[in-house]
Amino acid sequence: MMNWFQRRGRTIIIAIPMLWLLIFFLAPFFVVFKISFAEIARARPPFTPLFSWEESRLLISLSLENYAYLWDDTLYVKAYFSSMKIAFFSTVFALLVGYPMAYVVARSSDRWRNILLMLVVLPFWTSFLLRVYAWIGFLKGNGLINALLLKLGLINEPLIMLQTNFAVYVGIVYTYLPFMILPLYANLTKIDNTLLEAAEDLGASKFVSFMTITLPLSLPGIIAGSTLVFIPAIGEFVIPALLGGPDTLMIGKVLWTEFFNNRDWPVASAVATAMLVLLVLPIMWMRRAAEEEVS
Amino acid sequence: MTHPNPTDEKPWLDIDRKPFIKIRNLTKKFGDVVAVDNISLDIYENELFSLLGGSGCGKSTLLRMLAGFEIPTSGTIEIDGQNMLAVPPHARPTNMMFQSYALFPHMNVAKNVGYGLRRDGLQKAEIDIQVSEILELVQLGGYEKRKPSQLSGGQRQRVALARALIKKPKLLLLDEPLGALDKKLREETQFELINIQETLGVTFIVVTHDQEEAMTLSTRIGVMDIGTIAQIGEPQEVYEFPRTRYVADFIGSVNLFEGRVIKDSPNKLVIESPDAGINIHVPHGVSCSPNQLLWFALRPEKFEISVAKPKNVTNLLKGTVEDIAYLGGQSVYLVRLETGRLVRTVRANRDRGAEAPITWQQDVYLTWARSAGVVLTS
Repeated sequence: MMNWFQRRGRTIIIAIPMLWLLIFFLAPFFVVFKISFAEIARARPPFTPLFSWEESRLLISLSLENYAYLWDDTLYVKAYFSSMKIAFFSTVFALLVGYPMAYVVARSSDRWRNILLMLVVLPFWTSFLLRVYAWIGFLKGNGLINALLLKLGLINEPLIMLQTNFAVYVGIVYTYLPFMILPLYANLTKIDNTLLEAAEDLGASKFVSFMTITLPLSLPGIIAGSTLVFIPAIGEFVIPALLGGPDTLMIGKVLWTEFFNNRDWPVASAVATAMLVLLVLPIMWMRRAAEEEVS
Repeated sequence: MTHPNPTDEKPWLDIDRKPFIKIRNLTKKFGDVVAVDNISLDIYENELFSLLGGSGCGKSTLLRMLAGFEIPTSGTIEIDGQNMLAVPPHARPTNMMFQSYALFPHMNVAKNVGYGLRRDGLQKAEIDIQVSEILELVQLGGYEKRKPSQLSGGQRQRVALARALIKKPKLLLLDEPLGALDKKLREETQFELINIQETLGVTFIVVTHDQEEAMTLSTRIGVMDIGTIAQIGEPQEVYEFPRTRYVADFIGSVNLFEGRVIKDSPNKLVIESPDAGINIHVPHGVSCSPNQLLWFALRPEKFEISVAKPKNVTNLLKGTVEDIAYLGGQSVYLVRLETGRLVRTVRANRDRGAEAPITWQQDVYLTWARSAGVVLTS
């Protein structure tokens, strides 16, 4: 009995999360995948069934029209590329802001480190929605930033920031910054300080030792943080909906419109499926890059 | 053939010789803790100087101040006539070999070793030549493409040494250079280190807690004790003529007998030692106040141990063998004196089991030549 458990222990432990993913991720995904091959119909649910019985024979009607439609209507392709672009630049900005922050936290004394880490995580204690709304207060025409700039005399009329792509970038970078900082911090604290001393001893200035030692050794952290920012950013719906304008084109928003406004479940499902495929490819690429770095 | 001038080999004996490294009144405090306490020290060119001491004695802090990683609280460091205080680590004519080796894990052996030359902006072809030369010197030719994780401990140690030597520093600082190697490898590497030092003519300062290592490697040893230097001297000098109980005890093992002076003349000193149970006779004076408390230090190998009572000796102890440790080349006898004191003696095993064996619980006599011990006043 004991022996059996020892042999099967690993399998059992892995089986629990596997089962969880199977029920709550894979099964719903197959439902969505199935719907993406149906046609829109005035029915409840609003699509044609894939399987039907006619004259006691099974009839399977698969429609690739939805995918063809995604390709034909430039809106979707544009939305994909626009999402990619926004997610990519948000990741770059988050990296540029987050790296120095993670570096400072990793280099500070034990007492300060805990305080700083808490400050990084602190925003999570408030509702995400509330925090995005708070940015509206900052960015709007008569908001805090404009009021301050007007008072300082730096501008003569309010800047239009809300409902622009700029606001979307601000929102995404702000929201996902901790996901960039935490893996980077975990990575940077692991770098042995004597390596930097050795570099300096061999003639490297602080800047050169950073570029030749710290930066290459923190590459796994950069990849992990960037993945954690890029992937949720690409499908982001709330931030572009609240902070973005009418010309902010993101795939999450398109999906929402198809599903709830147009009630076109098959096209919405096709959008979701295509997005997943487009997300898996960059993840696989990043993972491979990370593995190459390790070996 | 002419004999070399003794002061060429031992520049510290020549008062006119200019020291290569001049440390004056050097102090380093971390908060309230004084790690290095007002040390002054001269080290000469081509020396292999060891800083020896237990953990926390300040030896590593002193080394790190020489490398520039710690800024002294007060005092000065001069290397080759140049004041080092304002010079950052990357501009000092020193290189350091770290205890952990600190090899860059993302670079292969050649990249690691060539790192210092790349910082100097040398051409790639020139770097390649120098890297393969120095790797030959440390017997690692052909290992250029390996990553540090693919090397054994001994090989990593050589890479670290090569990396520190390639810039031909005026001064090489070595922090426990052999600490991570096993005993056999350590002994081999000790001699290699000496050979390399002699080949390149670089001044070495080695930090170590291993007294055997310090004795084998060094031209001179500085024994450190809580931030100060307790004694500086050649290995033999420090072993045979320790100046304090701390030094005597730290270098090798020693039997210390506490006692008081009852007779002190230029060529005769008598110590009344309740510890030993006898009056100890020493053939020289120490010129101290009468009745002063002092210690007579005797190394275990200085004892003559015998079963039969020796005749015509001044210093004679009687005791019982309590424990014997057979170490192969020699045996250690722990002898309990009549005063209750336990004494450690060592005897070389010259014959193969032939000598009349001394066994447990046997009564034995211990004697020593009158000049075999050292009188310590502190």
